[in-house]
Amino acid sequence: MTPPIDHEPAGEALDRAAFEEEALQHAEQLYRIGLRLSGSPLTAEDLVQETYLRALRNRHSFRPGSNLAAWMATILRNAYLDDVRRAARRPSSEPFDETTDYYLYNRLAEQAETNQEAILRRLSRSDVLDSLSELPSNFREVVVLVDIGDFSYADAAEILGIPIGTVMSRLHRGRRLLKRALAEHVASAEDR
Amino acid sequence: MSVDPCTDAEHSLQAYIDRVLTPDETEAIDRHLRVCSYCAERYRFETDLRSLVKRCCCDCESETPPGMVDRLRERCRSVEV
Repeated sequence: MTPPIDHEPAGEALDRAAFEEEALQHAEQLYRIGLRLSGSPLTAEDLVQETYLRALRNRHSFRPGSNLAAWMATILRNAYLDDVRRAARRPSSEPFDETTDYYLYNRLAEQAETNQEAILRRLSRSDVLDSLSELPSNFREVVVLVDIGDFSYADAAEILGIPIGTVMSRLHRGRRLLKRALAEHVASAEDR
Repeated sequence: MSVDPCTDAEHSLQAYIDRVLTPDETEAIDRHLRVCSYCAERYRFETDLRSLVKRCCCDCESETPPGMVDRLRERCRSVEV
C-alpha cells in the first residue's frame, strides 16, 4: 500500500469530528502494536500521536467502509519506519537457524520429564516480551500484527505492502524464531 | 499429503490454529488428533503458547498510558489540518 497522500482539507467540521471519534476507537490496538514494534511506552505513545495527526491530514484518502484499523496500522507502521530510519538503525538480518514448529516443545521437553503446562509455566512475561523484541523486525512486525493485533493475513499484507504469501512465510518463520528465542531464554535462566 | 499423517499434521499446525484450512482439511486434522496423542499434545502446546504470547502483550502493563486517549483527542482537535 502506498503511503496516503496529503489532501486539501474539505472543511467539513462534522465529517472531521466523526472521523476522529471512529479513529479513536482503535487507539488501544494501535498503541499495543506500537509498543511491541518499538519496545518503549513513550515511543509508542509518540507513534500513536503521529499516526492520528497523519490520519487526520489524510482522512480524505480513506475509503469509507474499508478497514479503518488496518489503514491506521499502515500509517503507524510507516511512522515507526520513519523513526527507525531517523535513528539510522539498519534492520537486522536473521540471527537464528531454521527450526521446526515443534522446536520449543522438544527442546523444553527433553530437559525435564514434565507436562506441557509445566513447560509454559517456565516462561515468564519478560521471557516472552524479550524474545519478541529480539526477532528481526521484518518477522516481528508480521507476528505483532497477526498474533497480537488480530489482523488477518490479508490485512497484514495490505499494512506491510507485501504479498499475502510473504506474510504467511514470514509469519511461520517468525513464530519459529520466537519459539527458538523462548527456548534460549529458558535455557539461560536455568544456567544462572 | 504425504503417507505419514503425523508429518501432515505438523505441516498444518500453523494454518490449523489460524483457521485458514478448508473444512475438509480441518476435519482430517481433527480426526488425526483424536487418535494420536503425540500430535494432540503438540497442538495443545502450540495453542497454549499462542495464548500466552498474546496475554503477555495485552495485559495490564500493555494497556494505554492513563489519559492517552484524552490527550489524543485534544491533540486532534487543536491541530490544523
